[in-house]
Amino acid sequence: MKNKKIIDDSTQAENEKNTAANNTANIKNINMADNTLSQKTGARKLLFSFFHSVFIIICSILVIFILIIFILYVVPVLMEFSPQQKTEITNNKELMKDPLYKKQISLLTKDVQRLSLKFNAYTSGQSYIVINTTENRFFLYTNKKLVREGFCSSGSYTMLQTAGNKKWIFKTPKGKYWIHGKTTNPVWKRPDWSFVEEGSPIPPKDDFSRYEYGVLGDYALALGDGYLIHGTIYKRFLGMPVTHGCVRLNDDDLKVIFNTLNIGSKVYIF
Amino acid sequence: METEITNKPSRQKVTFIVLISIISVFIIYYSIMSMTSPVRKLEEIKNKFGSKSAENNEVDQRILMDSTYLKLLKEKAFLQSRVLMAETDSIYLTINLADSTANLEICGVVVHKAKMNSVKTSQILVKGNENTILSMLASPFTISHAFATIKKEPLMIKMAPKDTSEYKPDIMPDTSITEPVNYILEMKGGIRIYVYQEENVKFNDRMSHLSFDIKDKLRDTWSALKNVAVLKVPEYHPFIKLRLPRTDAKIIFRAIPKNGQIAVYS
Repeated sequence: MKNKKIIDDSTQAENEKNTAANNTANIKNINMADNTLSQKTGARKLLFSFFHSVFIIICSILVIFILIIFILYVVPVLMEFSPQQKTEITNNKELMKDPLYKKQISLLTKDVQRLSLKFNAYTSGQSYIVINTTENRFFLYTNKKLVREGFCSSGSYTMLQTAGNKKWIFKTPKGKYWIHGKTTNPVWKRPDWSFVEEGSPIPPKDDFSRYEYGVLGDYALALGDGYLIHGTIYKRFLGMPVTHGCVRLNDDDLKVIFNTLNIGSKVYIF
Repeated sequence: METEITNKPSRQKVTFIVLISIISVFIIYYSIMSMTSPVRKLEEIKNKFGSKSAENNEVDQRILMDSTYLKLLKEKAFLQSRVLMAETDSIYLTINLADSTANLEICGVVVHKAKMNSVKTSQILVKGNENTILSMLASPFTISHAFATIKKEPLMIKMAPKDTSEYKPDIMPDTSITEPVNYILEMKGGIRIYVYQEENVKFNDRMSHLSFDIKDKLRDTWSALKNVAVLKVPEYHPFIKLRLPRTDAKIIFRAIPKNGQIAVYS
């Protein structure tokens, strides 16, 4: 009996020990679960705050973008819708019978006719040439009618600069000019820039090396200030901006232009 | 233990609400100020040109609304401008909105004709008082500024060779390069003429148009914001927007002088 009690006590102690161990294990498990849970919650919080921040950033960018679009594009459109009073145009037949109306209309018609006549008189019935330096084309007119068109070469828009800071700009001047003189078999007197451009020393003013024959074609028409309309040996460059300011033409066009234009004929360059 | 739960908004939220309110108020203020600017511009034009028409025409109000009278008045205004410009030796531009043409003229001679593909005009020029607008158009506009995607004078700098050994003959210029052509001509009275190239097939052309447009809008907005900040009404620029073939647009921009003149027939 006593033995049995001893056995019971030891079993109880063992059970208690087991229970304690179990409890400890449970507590450990709970702690571990708690830790995992808190870790998970922390991660979730972190993720949430990350997405929240991203959302705020996207929203801010979107707001700024909408704001910019509104200011740049919507406000100008709204400006066009602002209230304005339009003149109501009528065609009153009663008014047309009014002598004051008739007088006003006849005065206006006379003004328009006078101005039209004045304006039309600007376009000469004589021959003139129009030179388009952007497209390098020419248009020859006689009696206000186009008689010939074709390619030409105009200024290259090059600025030649020396070490000593001397500068030449090679461009064809724009505006209204007229023919100052006409020459057959022109001779080119090379200006200083022509030597500078080649790296040659500049010869004296009337040195023989300045004169070149046959390079300007058969004819030349002077526009003033040293600018000429002349022929060329570089025909493949026609239609391109390659000259030093003069206008170059091919032989056939030059001949027609030379024979059509007189001294004093207008030259319009744009 | 009881926990006290309060519904106090966070500091972030308050800042956000305040910021949104400030922005909203500013936008409303900016929009109202901007919308009043065309009305103000029209008043300015009326004050400048309106009196002229009243002095010159001693007719009753009915004639000022008559289509025949207005048509003749338009023609007269356009011719007056052209005659005035023809008397100068300069190259000038005439824009005829009725037949969609833009012409370059020198001393009364039409030297280049361009057909406009599309035209868009500011409401102020369409809806504004006809007589006032016609009086304004009777004298040519003078260009004060130009903004463009191309250079007016495409100058190339070439250094002179030291001696003949350094000399290299000129190579043939590359004419195949086609740069996008878009520009704005701003007149002294504040009117703007926008010229855009018609060709917008290439990606480069479209991007150039877009960036050019954005730059212009940014410029305008910046100037408007500066005015609004000092409680001033922003400046309004009545406009004419044209679409021209690239070549024509380029020819006109390169030909017209820096402070050239323009006449418009509406």
